[in-house]
Amino acid sequence: MIDLALFHQTLAPAALGDEVRALLGKPLRRASLFAQLAACGAWRLIPAERRGWPTALLWQSTSGPRGETLTLLDEMDGAGEPMPFDFLAAQPAIAAAQLQPLLPGLTHSLHCPLDRCDAADWSLLLGLAVDRLTGGKSRQVLCAHLDAWDDRLIAHWLLLSAEPLENPAWRLHLQEQPPVATSGLPDTPDLPARLSAAPQARLTLATAQPAPRTLEFVRCPTHIGN
Amino acid sequence: MTRAVYLAGGGLCCAAGSTPAAVAETLADSPGRPAAGALSLGERRFPYAALPGPLPLDADDWLKRAEAACRRAVAPLGELPGEVPLFFASSSFQIGHFEAQPAPRDLPPACASFVGRVAGWLGLNGVRHSFSNACISGQQAIQAAAAQIADGSIDDALVLGCELYNRSTAAGFAGMGLLSPTACRPFDRDRDGLVLGEAVAALQLSARPAGWRLAAVDSALDAFSPTGPTPDGSRIAALLATCLAEAVLLPADIDLIKLHAAGSPTNDPAEANALRTVFGNAMPPLCSLKGSLGHALGASGVAETVALLACLDAGFVPPTAGFVTPDPEISLQPAVDRSRRPVRRVLLNGIGFGGGLAAMIVERSA
Repeated sequence: MIDLALFHQTLAPAALGDEVRALLGKPLRRASLFAQLAACGAWRLIPAERRGWPTALLWQSTSGPRGETLTLLDEMDGAGEPMPFDFLAAQPAIAAAQLQPLLPGLTHSLHCPLDRCDAADWSLLLGLAVDRLTGGKSRQVLCAHLDAWDDRLIAHWLLLSAEPLENPAWRLHLQEQPPVATSGLPDTPDLPARLSAAPQARLTLATAQPAPRTLEFVRCPTHIGN
Repeated sequence: MTRAVYLAGGGLCCAAGSTPAAVAETLADSPGRPAAGALSLGERRFPYAALPGPLPLDADDWLKRAEAACRRAVAPLGELPGEVPLFFASSSFQIGHFEAQPAPRDLPPACASFVGRVAGWLGLNGVRHSFSNACISGQQAIQAAAAQIADGSIDDALVLGCELYNRSTAAGFAGMGLLSPTACRPFDRDRDGLVLGEAVAALQLSARPAGWRLAAVDSALDAFSPTGPTPDGSRIAALLATCLAEAVLLPADIDLIKLHAAGSPTNDPAEANALRTVFGNAMPPLCSLKGSLGHALGASGVAETVALLACLDAGFVPPTAGFVTPDPEISLQPAVDRSRRPVRRVLLNGIGFGGGLAAMIVERSA
């Protein structure tokens, strides 16, 4: 059984710096936008005493580093070589490296850019997360959907832990049987928000392909805040 | 359910050729034939392992060239079922196409929309997954596909690594002083940086038995610096040990190591330290392919796997192009002569920009 905690937030881009300072007590200088957004989610979901635990970060994005990419392309139009900082900021792989000093247990990172706006890849991320937890490769896994649009930053988070969380919102059960085709949450970027708002006690995640096992979310009745 | 995962076929289009067999033929004689081509950034010129033919002239040309390379890469796999899941790996996707557009640019809302276009070119209408984690993107795509095959979610997967011409990546690497102005010299005393390259590589993974089996694959994070791993190689060594344990193998069971060895002044010694930690004085033969193929970044994991297995299937271990003078700091020497030694198990190592590490072990299944 896997405990789940969830968190989602939408911020104006200009508010991110204040959010980081409020949570971490200091700014993250030279950290990419995604690294700052990831730090906020990790800080909210992982208690201080667990930040050294072997942790994986599996994240996806529809927007990608859109603004940084445009900046990079503009620089290429001009002098022909980008500023190194702008180049680094346009590289999603850097986000995990910039996060690791804050989350010393972060030992694995995977980034999946998305090719459609209306669909996400939570089924892949959660499947990989379950494999890491049940295989003992990680003690906790952060799964996220992070977007950086011109007018808003969006972060949807799930923390999966094979060890009990203090106040889990849901538990994830892995059933060795195919999901029922007609039910289930759609695999969309806002899955954590949908889970948070769902009145049901049990939900499954719809998959884009036939699957031999079902990821079932079971609400924890004692969760404070549900 | 945990099923074995097999490497059922491969295709590769890169500087060294447009089929695995052609690449193997090139690699058989590659010492002294470093990757040709050049890429200009302002007044600076860098060697560049480009696909055969001219570099793209404009945005439309970039797409046509990409389509042709993708079609060539999957051609050796024959007719693929339309519903086969696509696991796409790249560090740059279609940024070369955007570069060629006039400003102001209108980027598509979904950053990996290029993958949908590639799937359309290849007649694939199944599930698509994309991976972008710099130089270990390909290994992570293989890892994810293998996990889904192992747990019974899918029976087959097409892993496609794609890294195509763009100036942004080259300029970024150049701006940080990571590119060699001359040649890629893996593990060599005089190495002075990376030589970038293009590649589109296809790897078919399957639950159906085939000639090579994926014994282990994993990745890790080492955030010592944005551009390189911990100098003592300890994080790399830990990952290699994890892979050996997953494959239930001992270091002595490995017959060949395909190095990452990009010719980096700092990363090559870290990799060597890791190998010494794991293998001690019983070091298996070493080879690096980047002197011949260039460093295809997000495609390199798939491209180098396909290229190496093509060589091994042709009966030889490829020599390492670009290695001439041993480095006392590294004190490991990749083979420079083509060898016909039998190879049953291979460890393939990867080190990524941004702290990514990856390792795979493949073994003959018969």
